Amino acid sequence: MYFELFSVLAFLSRCHCLTEKVEKNENTCGLLKQLLESTSLSVEINKKGLHREVVTTVELSPGELSGVRALLLHRWPRGVFVDPYQLASLRDQSDWQILVDSAIDLEVPAHKASGFVTYVYPTPDGPAPRLIKVTIPIHGRYHEPSFDGKTYTSVDIDAPELLLRTEKCTQLKDLEPHTVVDAPCTPDNSSTCSWVKLQHQQDQGPVSLQFPVGDGSLVTPVCGGTLLVTMICCAALSKYMWKHRII
Amino acid sequence: LMKNGKKHVLFTASFAIRLALVAYGDYQDRTMVVKYTDIDYHVFTDAARFITEGQSPYNRSTYRYTPLLAWMLTPNIYVSMVFGKMLFIVCDVLSGLLIYRILRLRGLRSETARRVSSLWLLNPLPMGVSSRGNAESILAALVLGTLLCMEARHLMWAAILYGLSVHMKIYPITYALPIALMLRTQETRSDGGRWRWRSFVGFIGSFLNQKLFLFASVAGGVFCMLTALFYYMYGWEFLHETYLYHLTRRDIRHNFSPYFYMLYLTADSRWSQWLGLAAFLPQLILLLVASWAFHSDLVFCCFLHTAIFVSFNKVCTSQYFLWYLCLLPLVLPHLRLSLKQGVGLLLLWFAGQGIWLGPAYFLEFEGHNTFLLIWLAGLLFLIINSSILIQIVAHYKPTQAPQRLKVE
Repeated sequence: MYFELFSVLAFLSRCHCLTEKVEKNENTCGLLKQLLESTSLSVEINKKGLHREVVTTVELSPGELSGVRALLLHRWPRGVFVDPYQLASLRDQSDWQILVDSAIDLEVPAHKASGFVTYVYPTPDGPAPRLIKVTIPIHGRYHEPSFDGKTYTSVDIDAPELLLRTEKCTQLKDLEPHTVVDAPCTPDNSSTCSWVKLQHQQDQGPVSLQFPVGDGSLVTPVCGGTLLVTMICCAALSKYMWKHRII
Repeated sequence: LMKNGKKHVLFTASFAIRLALVAYGDYQDRTMVVKYTDIDYHVFTDAARFITEGQSPYNRSTYRYTPLLAWMLTPNIYVSMVFGKMLFIVCDVLSGLLIYRILRLRGLRSETARRVSSLWLLNPLPMGVSSRGNAESILAALVLGTLLCMEARHLMWAAILYGLSVHMKIYPITYALPIALMLRTQETRSDGGRWRWRSFVGFIGSFLNQKLFLFASVAGGVFCMLTALFYYMYGWEFLHETYLYHLTRRDIRHNFSPYFYMLYLTADSRWSQWLGLAAFLPQLILLLVASWAFHSDLVFCCFLHTAIFVSFNKVCTSQYFLWYLCLLPLVLPHLRLSLKQGVGLLLLWFAGQGIWLGPAYFLEFEGHNTFLLIWLAGLLFLIINSSILIQIVAHYKPTQAPQRLKVE
């Protein structure tokens, strides 16, 4: 009889442990869900011309943030690029670290370039701070000249995606409708983790940048004018050099 | 003895000022946001770091120089970051010394030579360029060394230095033509200068003499040896980044060249190859005419060659100006220009740059569409450069039979 009692008690305690684990999981995942629902993200572009700064501000809603990791994922169009060497020199001045997914050619024009993705880790070593503010310097590429008289071309920068994860919450599928994304865990790209992506708010659409572009309809006068002036200068200089030649 | 003293003061002072600039640059790099050191210096240092790790310097993107430069800068990693800058300022002061020596060889008095050398030694432009970490002074020293050896008739050394300078940057290859014209056997005109088949054959034949053959083989040997060595070490990438990139470079971004806008608008059209060739023709014609007209005065000819090459090139950045500015002090004493005229031409040159820099700033940093203005400013700059060169050519008084004075 005591044996049966003991086995029943053991069985019940195991059940209890399991439910406790499930509850804990639900708690941390619920925490994550709460964060995802009340976090705000905004993007603004500073500076003018071909060198701009993209400032992303994220305010994580009040809650327990220990153990939560944040990641900003920017998808850049081919009309802009980041300078990896400039970013490397910025590493000393800022606490965030950035990972670029592909090698960047700094000089190729826009129509021959391709888009790329950057991962920004606001605090690679510790939990996510309450307020995240990341400034990424970007540069505009030269675009193909326009043939319809437009003097500027538009490049659309989409708002970044905010990805969150925590060690304790493993049942990420429960956090519908927020999707699960795979991304590097740390800036050194040594492993991949599952992250939860914050659903975009409706009011944060893509930001449009205007870059000046050459006027292709002027190609004939430009070529003609250039070749005319260079030939006249060449002829004049040749004439004077021949006139004053040293025998 | 006093002349020597003044000379030593000049060289010591110019070295000290450059040293001070390097120290200041180090301070600015550490404390301010805007860095003093040029991005090129970091490119060199990164490439040198790759070499110390046993890899190719071309792993560093935008490193488009000879591996020799990265090898020379490996002490940047082993000893101190500032080694490269020290090397550049030493070459800078050495260039000043070479200018002095060449001027003395061409018959100038010691005092005049010292005054003219100070135009380079106390000039803020080369001071700034070297202390910021650009390697232009090495090439200036090599080119000036070649010219000094040619003036002093040390052909072997001239050929070695010439091969080395062509290896470092391609543009000195243009000097081959006046050097060849100068070293060939000077034939005596006995037929009144009339064109004859025999005189044409004689012309070609005059190039086949011992001096020219020696020069060509030594210079060619040095160049081929270095090229073969680095090709063996680093492969195709070396050839592409050091030479081919510069020859086929179609940088469509804005620069001083008059061809910039034309090349940008036609970058993808089927005419771009022909236009590239059409842009090359004025350069070629002018170099041929300059070689034939001035080959007897090699120093002046090389100055004209470089100035023409830079002004009529498809890409022109301010770094290129140093290539002919280091030869300008050699030409100045022989110009029959008044001080007012000379300063006027200098101001005109600066004005031409300023007129270009205005719309370029508005394009890059304010985002206005100033392409047409940049194009016109580029054409104007070419016209200004051509006018200045015409004035220099018209007022140049060549040295009579070169007096070979004892060099102190």
